[in-house]
Amino acid sequence: MRGSFRQQAMLSAFLGIFTIVTLIPVIWAFLTSIKKPVDAFTVPPTIFFTPTLEFHRQVWFEHGFWSFLVNSLIVAACTVAISVPLGTLGGYAFARIRTGHSRAVLFGLMTIRMFPHILLVIPFYLLARSLHLIDTYLVLILAFVALNQPFTIWLMRSFFVDLPHELDEAALIDGCNNWQAFYRVILPVARPGIAVTTLFSLQLAYNEFLFALVLTGSDTKTLPVAIASFGAEDISYWTLSAAGAIGISLPILIFVLLMQRHLIRGLTMGAIK
Amino acid sequence: MRWQKNLWWFAAPSFLLLAAVMFYPLFSAIRLSVFDYYLVRPNDATFVGLDNYIDLITEGRFWSSLSNTMLIAGGSVLLEFVLGLAVALCLYSLQRGARLFLVLQLFPLIITPVVAALFLKWMFVARWGLIDASLASFDLTGPNWLGSPAWAKLTVILADAWKFTPFMILVLYAGLQSIDRNLIDSGRIDGASGWQLLYHVIIPALRPLILFVLIIRIMDAFRFFDTIYVLTGGGPGTATETLTIYTFSLGFRQLEMGKAAALGVVTLVLVSVLVMATAYLLYRREKGAF
Repeated sequence: MRGSFRQQAMLSAFLGIFTIVTLIPVIWAFLTSIKKPVDAFTVPPTIFFTPTLEFHRQVWFEHGFWSFLVNSLIVAACTVAISVPLGTLGGYAFARIRTGHSRAVLFGLMTIRMFPHILLVIPFYLLARSLHLIDTYLVLILAFVALNQPFTIWLMRSFFVDLPHELDEAALIDGCNNWQAFYRVILPVARPGIAVTTLFSLQLAYNEFLFALVLTGSDTKTLPVAIASFGAEDISYWTLSAAGAIGISLPILIFVLLMQRHLIRGLTMGAIK
Repeated sequence: MRWQKNLWWFAAPSFLLLAAVMFYPLFSAIRLSVFDYYLVRPNDATFVGLDNYIDLITEGRFWSSLSNTMLIAGGSVLLEFVLGLAVALCLYSLQRGARLFLVLQLFPLIITPVVAALFLKWMFVARWGLIDASLASFDLTGPNWLGSPAWAKLTVILADAWKFTPFMILVLYAGLQSIDRNLIDSGRIDGASGWQLLYHVIIPALRPLILFVLIIRIMDAFRFFDTIYVLTGGGPGTATETLTIYTFSLGFRQLEMGKAAALGVVTLVLVSVLVMATAYLLYRREKGAF
């Protein structure tokens, strides 16, 4: 659609306003996180003030968020280490097998992704309890792998589907077996897809709340559980929890910037490119 | 082809894993749902048949949580769709800079849901929240966003819309870009107005995609937990209690694991019906959508 300069200006203005409104809660939280409490509770809201990073320091080093970050990272890394290799193999299989069975399985995976997590969290909790695995990394990793696996298979499949069949077939004619064709020919080409899937899996594990809430305790608490229980009610903790919330969001911001091109594919499980 | 058949072995590890961490727990949840299982007395678990289910459907709280779920899911998805389509159309008509707007708007979507809910809480919270504090500086008093039953429902809908409108924008914008420009240009040459173009050309071209996003979002909204848990905890009273929140409080507050599992199974059935309806529609519209 070609538009006049005026029309373009109006569109930009509308989109600009919409974007700013969308970002206000984030900006406000950021401002709160660098305010002293005396500036945080004012009518009208204070916009100009002397910033301080004191609360960012406090929340990470005095309130233990540092160790929650370590928990989050351990769990996310292990989840990815299990989920992505297996998902890559599965995704390759489903990209190449084109029978009714594979369609049915793919549809099944889609359905699994839609499972209400709350239904899974109950048996997970009971099983973990009877095996004395509550508050261990292991049970949380298993849970995240369960949630993540259908997603990784779907996403990797969408990358493999883009690679031409002739690639594997040429390798097979040259005398490779299935595994060699996959490992030597396909895998190197699929590296960007694996990178995208890894980052999305990391994000899923980093953000998950319900399972982490139920399955973790003081030793394995992850960042989302920590921030949710941290002074959401008590108003005097505002600046501190705002500092925590902003800190947690920073890796995500980097993630968005890295992933710009691949966001749609990842966010829709690769159903749309 | 033969070599492709052998590839089932590649999928085997994923299947084994899913069987262990997905289907086994799922199966045990279904089993649990026909037991009276009280968490602190696990040895007294007794088989009660469908009693848990009957209990649920004969009590008001189940129906109110179901209607809250439908209201919140329906309201927020509708709002997200309308806003998302409007913004996607603007981005599409914009000659430069669309990418910048798009990336900035994605932030709420990607952010940790609990953190997103806190950001919104600091907007809506009474008196000191940004909205109330701003209104107060003009001597106005805002509604009780989180404290009155009707407003709390609206706030939760707005919260979901804030987080997920970007998803609609992203997907619909991608869809718009895949429409053949000639289709739109020829419509324009034939003298169609903007609305006519939208209704007769753009929406029909995007129909499978629209169906897909609507269903994905509705199903996600059925599982909506983090935001409500942080924003209202299901309150005031049970005004914003959805199926998921109710299941959580049955299981982990009242410790009635059997009944909670039954409610989980009911939710699963409801969601499955939605999935199957979608699959049917998608298959009919576009063979080979999966």
